[in-house]
Amino acid sequence: MSSDQDHLRETDSEKRFEFKKEQNAAFAAEKGELDEETIRLISEDKDEPEWMLERRLRALRQFHAMPMPTDWPSQPDLSEVDVEEIVPYIRPDVDMRGSVDDWTELPEEIQDTFDKLGIPEAEKNALSGVGAQYESEVVYQNMQERWEEKGVIFCNMDKAVQDHPELVKEHFMTSCVPPSDNKFAALHGAIWSGGSFVYVPEGVTVEMPIQAYFRMNSEGMGQFEHTLIIAEEGSEVHYIEGCSAPQYSKFNLHSGGVEVFVGEDAHVQYSTVQNWSKNTYNLNTKRAICESEGTMEWISGSMGSKATMLYPSTILKGRGATDNHITIAFAGEGQDIDTGAKVYHNAPRTKSTIESKSISKDGGRTNYRGLIHISDGAENSSTSVECDALMFDNESTSDTMPYMEIEESKVDVAHEATVGKIGDEDVFYLQSRGLDDDDAKQMIVAGFIEPITEELPIEYAVELNRLIELEMEGSLG
Amino acid sequence: MSAQLHANLTEAQVREISESLDEPEWLLETRLDALDALDELDMPDVIRTPGRNWTNLYDLDFAGFVDPLNAAEEKDQVGPDEVEVMSITEALDEREELVREKFGSVVDPTENYLTALSTALFSTGTVVYVPDGVDAEDVTVRTRMNSRSLFNYTLVVAGESSSVTILERQTTGEDVDGERYYSGLVEIDADENSNVQYGSLQNVDQETYTYSLKRGHADTYGTIDWIEGNVGSRLTKSSVETRLLGEGAESQIVGAFFGHDDQHFDVASRVWHEAEHTTADLVTRGVLDDEARSVYEGVQDVGSAAWNTNSYQRENTLMLSDESEADASPKLIINNHDTEASHSATVGQVDQQDLFYMTSRGVSPRAARNMLVEGFFVPVLDEIAVEEFRDDLDELVAARLRE
Repeated sequence: MSSDQDHLRETDSEKRFEFKKEQNAAFAAEKGELDEETIRLISEDKDEPEWMLERRLRALRQFHAMPMPTDWPSQPDLSEVDVEEIVPYIRPDVDMRGSVDDWTELPEEIQDTFDKLGIPEAEKNALSGVGAQYESEVVYQNMQERWEEKGVIFCNMDKAVQDHPELVKEHFMTSCVPPSDNKFAALHGAIWSGGSFVYVPEGVTVEMPIQAYFRMNSEGMGQFEHTLIIAEEGSEVHYIEGCSAPQYSKFNLHSGGVEVFVGEDAHVQYSTVQNWSKNTYNLNTKRAICESEGTMEWISGSMGSKATMLYPSTILKGRGATDNHITIAFAGEGQDIDTGAKVYHNAPRTKSTIESKSISKDGGRTNYRGLIHISDGAENSSTSVECDALMFDNESTSDTMPYMEIEESKVDVAHEATVGKIGDEDVFYLQSRGLDDDDAKQMIVAGFIEPITEELPIEYAVELNRLIELEMEGSLG
Repeated sequence: MSAQLHANLTEAQVREISESLDEPEWLLETRLDALDALDELDMPDVIRTPGRNWTNLYDLDFAGFVDPLNAAEEKDQVGPDEVEVMSITEALDEREELVREKFGSVVDPTENYLTALSTALFSTGTVVYVPDGVDAEDVTVRTRMNSRSLFNYTLVVAGESSSVTILERQTTGEDVDGERYYSGLVEIDADENSNVQYGSLQNVDQETYTYSLKRGHADTYGTIDWIEGNVGSRLTKSSVETRLLGEGAESQIVGAFFGHDDQHFDVASRVWHEAEHTTADLVTRGVLDDEARSVYEGVQDVGSAAWNTNSYQRENTLMLSDESEADASPKLIINNHDTEASHSATVGQVDQQDLFYMTSRGVSPRAARNMLVEGFFVPVLDEIAVEEFRDDLDELVAARLRE
């Protein structure tokens, strides 16, 4: 989606809002139901301070002024995304939430998946988007106390606006993901709700992964959730968003925002396994700004959704900063997963690696779309991009579209990609040792995605593997 | 559209060009259709990333440097006796049916604004016809442009089981001040089991903007190998493309460029696998000095009918100066899983260790750098089967290093 280079070089937010975009006449004239009144209602309902309302309204104006992203080569078809339809789902005065109230209202395929994954009843409800409180509150309370002793803040984003206004005011959609970044970031800025706020003070290491999981309720796991992570100098944290079990929603747009601030010498890992139900358009904006010697790691698995457009990006702002991406995409029937990574090397001695794996099957399409930008002056920077794609059949599509913009000569830039079908020889080898065809293929795929599963806590890794098995059996809708 | 160039172009001008070449009615019609289409057409696609176009063609002052009625050139069109090498006028005399059948069959004249402009205004061209079963070497086409603008058209028709090697060179004469424009369209129709090698070396002066689109259709077991060297011009927008239409067809596209000062090279290699058992190999190497900029796009498109495809692409750029910029986008589009495909791209500078090794053995830093740059081109030169062409390119590189 569209942003501007120069944007990324400065960090003055006010200027950015005034950045002039091409006006698209068709959209300038758009007068939908998504109006100021709706935004005021949301803000009022949350009892928000004036400044947050102002930001929402500014983002709304951006949203109406910006064109739909439609001119990307071979991009997923977004013509069915009707943003005006959102209104009933987000207005607090309309009794119609995106979640369902009862397990039985869920589509059969989702019920099926849960049964097959063997997830306990209580969790099932919470995970799948049935509006119920998850039973892990106790566990969460214990951990909360331990973190609080160290000064770590982990709370709902709505609560953070109330309790930590200074931190939020400074970091919320200012220098990292301004609403002007793209139409859906602007939409998000106007109607965001829920999500997590994480603050890790200087020098503190959070030993175990923080999981959004524990914060889940009908609001926290919303479709427009905002995650803000601030890791101060020398701190360390691993945040896990959501879960690998399928999530269902009546309204078919998910447009979240993630902003990560990696302080000097800090280390942040952000892991997510996205598995929206197959009616959902998943259009997220995720970005990190990384100070000198800091490390950002994005681990992303995209399994679900009808169409996904997601390019987690990192701005390597300080000398010696590092960014690593591991992404995996699995597209089955009717799915178009267009995902990748963006890295801006804006300082000397910055390093990035991108490892992308994709699997397409039964007519699904995966595309790696990524950008490496090395600014003039970012000398002795290096980047390496590796994309591997596995295709199961002739109905499927697998594309790779990397972009490299190199303005600095003292660099080491390498991109490589391979595409192939599952090796007949490998399958034969396994079969000759007693595995049947399906098991052999599953084993090959499990090996193929290992780089990502090994980065996840064991319960996620197991779940992810199991999910892929189910996808491969074609036993899911 | 840039400066509304076509507002200044008249039907009368196009008729005048057509008459001076004594053309048949159908070609005049084709030209006029292309002229009419200008209003509706966009510039050729350029790569865009958020916030920028990698090459901006819309700001070029075509109106300032297109001067259709005063085209002047020196041309050599020579080949061995067994192959017919004709100027466009001769070809329309002697082989009208062939030209009529093939003209615009590979590159649609109305594909984009610049192809239509070229079709409406071309005043010079070459037709190479290789009869069935004929093996021909060394067809040479030299174009030296002596006017503000020149529109060139080339058609190669290779009959069944024939083979031919064609070398094309473009340079500019000394007698025009200010900016200039050279446009060249090349169509190759390679019949079953034929083998066409087409090399081109562009070394026009640095006041000249060039647009070139070269595309070939390869029939069953046909081979089209392209070599393209870009050394001259202020700005070059060039595409070299092959459609592998027949079973077992093959194509190799070898590219080399060497930019300095503020030159801008926008080069693309594209191949479409549209039949079974086809193979493609794309190799490009470029060097950038001073404030030069390169934009590279490589596309390997594997269609759903292209079973058992092999497709490879490599692009390497060497940056000699910190003011230069190298942009690259190698793309894979795969619609058939029975494919072995890969691509890679690298950007870097002269290896400091190599440099140290040589300077520590008494080679001056400048000479060491020059040797390493020449060495960088070796893998590309090695792909060039025609010795004369290899030497020419090598010499241009060496000359530029000595500047």
